[in-house]
Amino acid sequence: MTGSVRDMTLLDLDSVMSIERASFLSPWSEGQFRDELARLGEGRCWMVVEEDGRVIGFGGIAVFGDEAHVMDLAVESAYRGMGIGRRLLLSLMRSAVEGGASRMTLEARPANMAARALYASVGFVEAGTRPGYYTDTGEDALIMWTPGLSVEAVEAMVTADRGDDLVLAIETSCDETAAAVMRGGRELLSSVVASQVDFHARFGGVVPEIASRKHTEAIVAAVDEALAEAGVGFKDLTALAVTHGPGLIGALVVGVAYAKGLSLATGLPLVGVNHLEGHIFANKLADPALEPPLIALVVSGGHTALVHVPEWGVYHTLGETLDDAAGEAFDKVAKLLGLGYPGGPAISRLALEGDPNAIAFPRAMLRSGNYNFSLSGLKTAVITYVEAEKRAGREIAIPDLAASFQAAVIDVQVAKAVRAAEEYGVEAFCLAGGVAANAALREGLRVAMTERGIRFSVPTYDLCTDNAAMIAAAGHFRLQRGAFLGLDAEAVANLALG
Amino acid sequence: MRYVLAFDTATEHVAIGLAALEAPDRMPRMMAEKDFAAPRAALGALLPAVRDVVREAGIPAGRIAIVAVGRGPGSFTGVRIGVASAKGLAHGLGAPLVGLGTLDAVAWRFSAHEGLLAVVGDAMRGEVYPALFRCSGGRCTRLEEDCVEKPVVTAERWARTVTEPVLLAGNGLTKYQGILAGALGARATIADESLWTPSGASLIAAAWTEAGPGSLHSVAGLDPVSAFEEAHPAILLPVYTRLSDAEEAEQQRGAVSIPPSGVSGPGAGGVS
Repeated sequence: MTGSVRDMTLLDLDSVMSIERASFLSPWSEGQFRDELARLGEGRCWMVVEEDGRVIGFGGIAVFGDEAHVMDLAVESAYRGMGIGRRLLLSLMRSAVEGGASRMTLEARPANMAARALYASVGFVEAGTRPGYYTDTGEDALIMWTPGLSVEAVEAMVTADRGDDLVLAIETSCDETAAAVMRGGRELLSSVVASQVDFHARFGGVVPEIASRKHTEAIVAAVDEALAEAGVGFKDLTALAVTHGPGLIGALVVGVAYAKGLSLATGLPLVGVNHLEGHIFANKLADPALEPPLIALVVSGGHTALVHVPEWGVYHTLGETLDDAAGEAFDKVAKLLGLGYPGGPAISRLALEGDPNAIAFPRAMLRSGNYNFSLSGLKTAVITYVEAEKRAGREIAIPDLAASFQAAVIDVQVAKAVRAAEEYGVEAFCLAGGVAANAALREGLRVAMTERGIRFSVPTYDLCTDNAAMIAAAGHFRLQRGAFLGLDAEAVANLALG
Repeated sequence: MRYVLAFDTATEHVAIGLAALEAPDRMPRMMAEKDFAAPRAALGALLPAVRDVVREAGIPAGRIAIVAVGRGPGSFTGVRIGVASAKGLAHGLGAPLVGLGTLDAVAWRFSAHEGLLAVVGDAMRGEVYPALFRCSGGRCTRLEEDCVEKPVVTAERWARTVTEPVLLAGNGLTKYQGILAGALGARATIADESLWTPSGASLIAAAWTEAGPGSLHSVAGLDPVSAFEEAHPAILLPVYTRLSDAEEAEQQRGAVSIPPSGVSGPGAGGVS
C-alpha cells in the first residue's frame, strides 16, 4: 500500500498548498488552511498521506453535531488512481464518527467524474444540487450524503479493504432460507440452504405465503447452523448482509426484518444486497480472476436478463424476458408433461435421451434486434403440440419433446448472449441463476464463448440456485462500497440492478 | 436489573413497551412505551422506534434480558415483521423470545374494566379474529381460543351465548361494528376507538399472563443460559389461524392423501 495517513500540521502547509494549487481552479489560500488548523479539536480534522517523507495527498472535515462535512480533499496527480483518496476518506470518516457524526456530506463538481466515483466508492450518494455553488464557473454543486454511519460501520469498511472481514449473509428472497459466513468475500466458511422445495412441489410452483411462513420457521436455525459450521459467533463478525430485493415481498420481509433486529442487537453494520448481483458474484467465487467488463446472463425461475457489467457494481440491463422467466417456462412445461416440480432438472435429464431436432419449436425473438426474450409463445407451442399429438392418438416421445423444448430455449439465449458479448466487446461472460445449472445451457455458452476467445465463467452447481454464499460475496463488495442499510430499511420486491 | 422489551405489529399499529423485571413473580414495571399507527409501514418504522424507546429509557440494548412479541393473529405480513424482527433481536442478544397474543394485548387495555370484553381483530377477506375475555379485579382472562370466522358467525354465536353487558374493542370493528353490535343489541357497548389496538403496557401485561413452556413466566425465574434454552428464538412462531390460500384450496378439494406441509397453521408453534 502506498503512503501512510497522519494528522496535518503547519509544517505540511507548503506541500499541501502545492497540491491544492495544482488540483483546483479556485484553490484555498494558505490563510484558510492556517485558520482550519487553528481549529483542530473544535470539530475540525485534517489529515495528510505521506510517502517517503513527502506529502502526496490531504483532506479535511468539519463536524457539526451529528453531521460531518468534507471541506477539501486532493491527491497529487502522479499518485491518483492508487486508492490514496479512498484511504484518506476512510480515515476522515473514522475521525468523523469518533467525533460524534452519524452522516457525512460534501459538494462535488458535476464534471469531476473521478471525484464522484471516489465518493460513491465509500458510500456517498448523490442527493441533490446546490445551484450556482461554484462562483468561478457558475457550476451547480452536487450534494452527496453517506447513509447512517457508526464507528463499527467505518471499521468494517477498513477491515473489508484489508480482506479480513467476516460477513454473515442472509437470503430469503424466494423459497430457500439461506445463511452463509465468508471471509474477505472469497473464503467460504459455511453455506446453509434450508430448501422448501418439498412444501411447494405439490402446488407446482412457489406459494408465496408458504415461503414466508417457512422462512420465519427456519431463519434462526439456518443462521445458527451457518455460524456453527464456520466455528464463529456473532462477536467474531464484521458485518451482516441481507438480500433486500428483488423477490417475493413477503419472503424478503422476513430476512430484512430478522437482519435488522440482529444488527440492532449486535451493533454489527448491515449492508443490503441485490439478489441478482448476488447471482453474478457467485461467478467470482468459482472464478476469482473474473473481471469486468463482462456480460452476464441471469436466468432463474424469476428472472431472465442480459446484463452489461462495465465494472463491478455498475449494471446495465440490456434486455429481459417480456413474459415468463426461463426457469418458469421449464416448470410450466414440466407440469404440462406431469414431470413434477421443479421442472428444470427433470426436463434436462430427459433431454439427454432425446433428439433436440425432433420437433421444430419456435425460436422467439431470435431476430428481434434487441436483447429481450419471450418464452410464453414457446410454452404455448408445446401445449399446442401436445394437444395435437393427443388428438391424433399418437404417443408423445417425452425425451424428444424435452430435448426440442430445451434446445429452443437455449438457442435464443446463446444467440443473444453472443451478440451482446460481441457488441459490447467484452472479454468475459458469465452465467448466473438457477437455470445456470442446466448442463446443456452451460455447454452451449461455453462452446460459443470460448470459440470467440471470450472467458466463460459459471458458478459451481450448488451456487447456481439461491444461496447465501453469493450474497456474502456481493455483501463484501457492498461493504467496501459503504452500502449500509439503516433500521428503517424496507424490502423492495422490484429492486433494480445497478 | 433485567429488562423486558415487547412489541407487536400484527395490526396496522405498532406498539412497543419496555419494562423492568424486578422480581420473577411480579409483573414487570413499565419503564417506557410508545405506540403509533403505521399502515403498511411497520417494517421501516418498528426498529427505529424500538431503538428510540430503549435509548430514552437510558438502557444499553445489551441489558434487555427478554424479548416478547405479539404472535397475532393479525395481518400475516404484519405478524411476521414483528416476529422476524424479534427473532433477530433476541438471537443477537442471546435472549429468550417469548410470545403474547395480540388480542390479549388489546384486552389488557381494559384491565380496569369489570365484566365481559369482546375483542374483534380484522382478519381481512371479510373475516374476523374474535375472542371473549373476562375482566375483573385488574386482570383480563381469556375465555375463547383464537379462531378466524365470518363476522355474522361470531355475531350469531355471541348473541346466543352472551347473557350480560359486553364491551367491544378491536380493529375489526371498523368494518363490522354494525353486524356485531346489531346482534348483541342493548348488551353491547363500543369502546373508545383509541383503545382498539395494543399499547406498550398492555403488551407487557399480556405477555405476563401467558403460561406454559417458553412463556415470560416460565423464563422470568431462570438464569440467562437456561432461559435462552427454554425460549430459544428459533422456537416461537406466529399464530395465523388460517392455512395459506393454496393449502386451503387443497383442503377444500379434499386432497387428504397429501402429506402435511409442516407449515404452521392453527394451533401450531409454541404456546398461545
